[in-house]
Amino acid sequence: MLTLGEYIRLYFYIEAQYIKAQMQYRVDFFISSIGMFFSSLAALSIFVVLFNTISSLAGWSLMEMVFIYAFYMIAISPMQILFDNIWWIRFHVQSGSFLKYYFRPMNMLFYYMSERFDIKGLTQLAVGIVLLVYSSIQLKIDWSVGKLLLLPLAVFSASLVLIAIAVMAGCSAFWLVNSYPVLALSWRLREFAPYPLTIFDGLFRFVFTFLLPIGFIAFYPAQFFLRVADISPLVYLTPVVGVLLFALMYRVWTLGVNNYSGTGS
Amino acid sequence: MRAYLAFLRGAVLVGMVYRLGFLFTALGNVVYMVVAYFLWRSIYVGQTSIHGLTFDQALLYVALGSTVFILLKTFTDWGMAQEIRDGTVAVFLTKPIDYQFYTFFTNLGFPLTSLVTVIAPTVILLVFFFRIHFDFGPGYLFFPLSLTLAFIISFHLDYLIGLTGFYTESIWGISITKEIIVSVLSGMLLPLQFFPAAVQQILAWLPFQAMYFTPLMMVTKPGQNVSVFLVMLGVQAAWTAATFLICRLAYGRAIQVLRVAGG
Repeated sequence: MLTLGEYIRLYFYIEAQYIKAQMQYRVDFFISSIGMFFSSLAALSIFVVLFNTISSLAGWSLMEMVFIYAFYMIAISPMQILFDNIWWIRFHVQSGSFLKYYFRPMNMLFYYMSERFDIKGLTQLAVGIVLLVYSSIQLKIDWSVGKLLLLPLAVFSASLVLIAIAVMAGCSAFWLVNSYPVLALSWRLREFAPYPLTIFDGLFRFVFTFLLPIGFIAFYPAQFFLRVADISPLVYLTPVVGVLLFALMYRVWTLGVNNYSGTGS
Repeated sequence: MRAYLAFLRGAVLVGMVYRLGFLFTALGNVVYMVVAYFLWRSIYVGQTSIHGLTFDQALLYVALGSTVFILLKTFTDWGMAQEIRDGTVAVFLTKPIDYQFYTFFTNLGFPLTSLVTVIAPTVILLVFFFRIHFDFGPGYLFFPLSLTLAFIISFHLDYLIGLTGFYTESIWGISITKEIIVSVLSGMLLPLQFFPAAVQQILAWLPFQAMYFTPLMMVTKPGQNVSVFLVMLGVQAAWTAATFLICRLAYGRAIQVLRVAGG
């Protein structure tokens, strides 16, 4: 088995080759980045228009919503950039080309995901960072050293939640072959992450916290930075939820990989 | 015409196969509507009417908007890009079949087969769970025709995006940009009344409102004068004709750059 250091070296090597190959399609990169830029701003533009009419949504101001949204944008970037290959799993499973991943002396999940590095996802990350800086200046957030150290941890935990949900949805390919509908559903659920959970009543707040834990993608972790005074204890659960879900995802992936028997070709 | 009906029949049969996938789409729509219910409830706190819409009307509008989106989303542009890339499109140069009509009828299969299964959960949710009050009026009679025109305009836009496949392989970026622009400017996610007045005036001159806002308002405010609905349908018909002409012209130009290797 490879060590962690070797995996990191290998990853950089694979992605360097991948990016070189992608550089043949500069126009594609340019157009996709524009598309990514627009799609990162879609939900936000609706919030902005809505706040022409209302001054707060369930107690949250527009700038606070922008902050949560920016956090969400940054948290989904690792999924978009590093795990984008999950969208193609159904083609590999269907055609049988997935078999090749069994024949390398390295972790299969690593090998599979390393095959694609989504450069256009960097646009999303940039939009997220710009919005985060802008909204924290507007909100006059006091960035203490503690908060600055917590930010990467919070983003990382939220990313784990997202990656776990999406990869588990993609794993449905091992049983259903066409994983697109399940992935699209998980994608759709994800889009509700920047909404303040306070708009929901008890039952649905429970659902979106514990059953479909999208609250941990942005709303709970963002509270570290927005409302330290009346913080919910659930906020501190974010890293735990992230790690548990990621472990569960890895379990599902292993089950799927062991269950897959190829296409016989 | 008989040839195109054969394509439609094939598309309907294909549509029947993907039942399981459809279940997840329907489930996603139900969750969306539940979230929309809570979102709009928060927006309407302490108010009975905003921009001339009651809470019930706004909820009906956005729930129906998301439902119509499923019907109009046919992935036409993706299919065309695939046909252009692998050269299938060359077949239509040698056969007496019009590529645009062929594409139209093959993509009509999905909304036709799933019309009832898409709309039924929305109606059940609105009537039995959200218990909203429906207004009644002649708008309901015009809705089917309006939805049909909306589908055709939406198809024309997708077809135009698909034609860019003759020039570039990066259909993803162009397609997603179109989808985002339509979802915001057509009033699919938010009734156009919520936009600033100046923006509304500009949007009235764009084709996007004819795809979502027009049919949705017919059900949201069905009690208006019949002449209002006739004007709305007239605008939709004009956009249907205009986008049709643009499609014909664009295809004529695009087909000239086609090079298919081998056979």
